[in-house]
Amino acid sequence: MTGEHDIAPARQARIRRPSLAHRTAWGIGRNIAEVLANEELAARQGFLQRIEPRVRLLAVLLFAVTASLLHSPWSLAAMLALAATLAAASQVRVRSFMRKVWGSAGIFVILLAAPAATRLVTPGRVLVSLGALSLTVPGVLGAVTLVLRVVAAAGIALLIVWTMRWNDLLSALSQLRLPDVIVATLAMAQKQIVSLMRTVEQIHLARESRTLSAGTTAENRDWVIGRMAFVVHKSVRTADEVYDAMLARGFDGTMRLLPRDRGRARDWFYLLAALTFCAAMMALDRGALR
Amino acid sequence: MTQPNGGSVDLSRAHAHAADFVLSGVCQQYRPGVPSLVDIDLTIGCGEHLVIAGANGSGKSTLLKLLDGLVFPSAGTLTAFGAPLTEAALEDPVFRREFRSRVGFVFQEADVQLFCSNAFDELAFGPLQLGLPPDEVRERVAEVAHSLRIEKLLDRAPYTLSGGEKKRVAIGSVLTMRPHVLLMDEPTNALDPRSQVWFLEVLDEWKRNGDSVIISTHDLTVAEEIADRMIVLDEGHRVVAEGTPDEVLSQRELLLKVNLIHEHAHRHAGSGRTHTHPHAHM
Repeated sequence: MTGEHDIAPARQARIRRPSLAHRTAWGIGRNIAEVLANEELAARQGFLQRIEPRVRLLAVLLFAVTASLLHSPWSLAAMLALAATLAAASQVRVRSFMRKVWGSAGIFVILLAAPAATRLVTPGRVLVSLGALSLTVPGVLGAVTLVLRVVAAAGIALLIVWTMRWNDLLSALSQLRLPDVIVATLAMAQKQIVSLMRTVEQIHLARESRTLSAGTTAENRDWVIGRMAFVVHKSVRTADEVYDAMLARGFDGTMRLLPRDRGRARDWFYLLAALTFCAAMMALDRGALR
Repeated sequence: MTQPNGGSVDLSRAHAHAADFVLSGVCQQYRPGVPSLVDIDLTIGCGEHLVIAGANGSGKSTLLKLLDGLVFPSAGTLTAFGAPLTEAALEDPVFRREFRSRVGFVFQEADVQLFCSNAFDELAFGPLQLGLPPDEVRERVAEVAHSLRIEKLLDRAPYTLSGGEKKRVAIGSVLTMRPHVLLMDEPTNALDPRSQVWFLEVLDEWKRNGDSVIISTHDLTVAEEIADRMIVLDEGHRVVAEGTPDEVLSQRELLLKVNLIHEHAHRHAGSGRTHTHPHAHM
């Protein structure tokens, strides 16, 4: 009889870094879960979720544009604080929100801005002495401003993704006079992407369930290429079928959608408040610079 | 209304015709030398409940697509409500609108049919494309959602729905068009037992309204439950049997030959149901 001691070394020998295919499928699975979690988050009764989608989209765009025009780190820090406050008021956990913002856009822009903080790129009074790579005051100030600007804008944009359902976003775009055919195409594209991601995940799980060894890199590569071709083929076939389904329900090339409701007075008040806040921030920013 | 071929057709008088569809010597092939339907002669009466049975790949779905004007015969003729159903005829906006408002198609895969951003838009899509005013569209959506008990799903994105919920929304998306003929491709696929019962109840309701239903399936239980008449397609893409469900399902040898039942299947006297008992060969 084979004992546990006989099996353990063999099992240990098989443990190695997951293959590219495995990691891709895992990532796809995580993305699907995120899409579904976002739907749940966006359906909550938070502050932003209660505002009419079109007004919400306009307000968030206004904040993002303002963040990109501000120059003072203090103004930008205030914008980031506003994003965090809006997140909290919209039942988004501030910690997850900040982790997501800093973990994606934050780290990326810090890496990009870091060289600009050194004496090599921005001469000036030395703040931290590190030889040729000494950090200068204007360099650090510039880098911090850039980082805060990107993080504030990204944080506000992330609020759209987290607090607005895809349907609401499409509805808002439609109300903002984006052509119906583009809105419908976006709706179908998103649905198809989720559907195809599910297919890819299932293909991978089906393979995993029938596979004992991880396989060689070449085998994995061949398998991934084969499955990519399958998914492309499936996507083309599905597109044809979806088009047939549209024709069957009377589509003749012109997309007709229901006219949307107009925003309520309260929603427009929020937009006015957002506009006033942004104007005040701009004025303070200019004042701080003088 | 004048057809592109010069003939005059008025589909609004459809009920005056004894038959919804007439197919004479219809053949269809997607690629040369690879037929999907061969020499089909078929008349489908107004208000009739027809089941098209056949194994996978026998041409059931293609036949439904022909009846919905999504593909066209390579040979033979097809008329719908007394008018030729051709690609040229469907180019005419008036004919197309009349035809699409009379014939609804529920696709096999609900995922294909649900392409809008939420269930409400799915239900509203058909009536909107037919040019109905927004208030009437909203009224129809509310009515169908209530009758199918899907009111709570209306603001959900299709990809967040379960298989049974998707099927309900897909059926609802066609019912809002209030078609006279309902085409359904393998409607009970992926339905759990409770949803299957619900589906049969929907069809029963439909039957009472006097409208036509044409269903393709290899589920013989569905045929027994709802069909006035059934036809059987074999793997050579021809109609090999036609009659009442009792007449067709009693032809055991034929059903075996067309791969609709297994040799271990049998019918119970009285209930008339065909089913299979698993057993082991000793």
